[in-house]
Amino acid sequence: MSDTWTNRLSEYLDGELPESERATLEAHLRACADCRATLEQLRRVVARAQALDDTPPTTDLWPAIARHVGVVSLDARRARRRLSFTVPQLAAAAVALTLLSAGSAWLLLRRPAGARPSQSTTTPSPILTNVGTYEANPRYAAAVASLERVLAQGRSRLDTATVRVIEKNLGIIDRAIRDAQSALAADPANSYLNLHLAQEMRRKLELLRQAAALAGART
Amino acid sequence: MELTTPRVATLRRDLDQATRDAETADVALAASGDGRAFERLYRSHVARIHSLAQRMTGEDHADDLTQDVFVRAWSKLSTFRGEAAFGTWLHRLAVNVILARRTTLGTERGRYDDSENVLDGVASRPHTAELSLDFEAAIERLPDGARQVFVLHDIEGYRHEEIADLLGIVPGTSKSQLHHARMALRRHLE
Repeated sequence: MSDTWTNRLSEYLDGELPESERATLEAHLRACADCRATLEQLRRVVARAQALDDTPPTTDLWPAIARHVGVVSLDARRARRRLSFTVPQLAAAAVALTLLSAGSAWLLLRRPAGARPSQSTTTPSPILTNVGTYEANPRYAAAVASLERVLAQGRSRLDTATVRVIEKNLGIIDRAIRDAQSALAADPANSYLNLHLAQEMRRKLELLRQAAALAGART
Repeated sequence: MELTTPRVATLRRDLDQATRDAETADVALAASGDGRAFERLYRSHVARIHSLAQRMTGEDHADDLTQDVFVRAWSKLSTFRGEAAFGTWLHRLAVNVILARRTTLGTERGRYDDSENVLDGVASRPHTAELSLDFEAAIERLPDGARQVFVLHDIEGYRHEEIADLLGIVPGTSKSQLHHARMALRRHLE
């Protein structure tokens, strides 16, 4: 089936025919059953296309991508460490790391300035660099604020012991962040302090994310 | 405390927003060199990017192209300004990477014949259960031009003007290719 209007049916379907042609085509459609049937088929093709599901690759491409960009795969880390943690355990681990890290920073700051590792003597981390991106980034601040709001709204669905541990540990992480920021104000080029601050900020985000997900999952 | 439906809806909406914000934070973290954040982004978006690559170029090249897209994204993360959602930015990048490879792929596969005859070949395949192609496979059998326009317009939602710009053709050609592709695919709806 083909007539002068067949090739315009897709434009009609997409609302792209000029008004005058659209009126003429609609008059034609009333008289032409073939064009009406074709138009319906085209409509179904479009609907089918819009309903297609996305499917992931059959093999995990991440290990190859990670090699290309020089990072370590989460799966590779999980293969080495098949453990799972509850939120309080994660919070406790976060705080332990924070205290250890903050202690190192404190010891570092007590040493004479000349003895501190500086940008020129410390190898930057391949994973965390450019801490300014965290500190000044409004996206980080927005993410933290958003997660804190979710956690605040969902806290009634967490048991009180969990909430207490989370809040206590968030407070400790916040203090570590403030201390690191103060130290960095005095020694902005110190790569260890930059790394320490970035780790604390990321730790806070991860703890909040897990706590908020837990609170949200219990709705 | 008992939750009312509006409160649950509000909480879920906030959680969705928090998820989006967390993704934005992951972009910032990844841009700073955080591989774990980038892996989370990869896992969130790989299905959409791989499906796009497969529909645009065929199954044989989809894995390679998907890898290329994410490797390119890693190197370009610092250029992401947040004006659009990260997924939109990544999708645009993917289209550019895929289209940059289309000449090579088209030559390798000898599929630049966009004539009516080729389209008719897709449309007129027998309707037996054994030979009937499913819809995805039928898309893959389309000639390159018609397939790319169909995928970009009907699946990905690009406008003809954008497609014309991406493919280096005029909007009228994009409209014509789209119509031919749809006509060819009518018989593979079941």
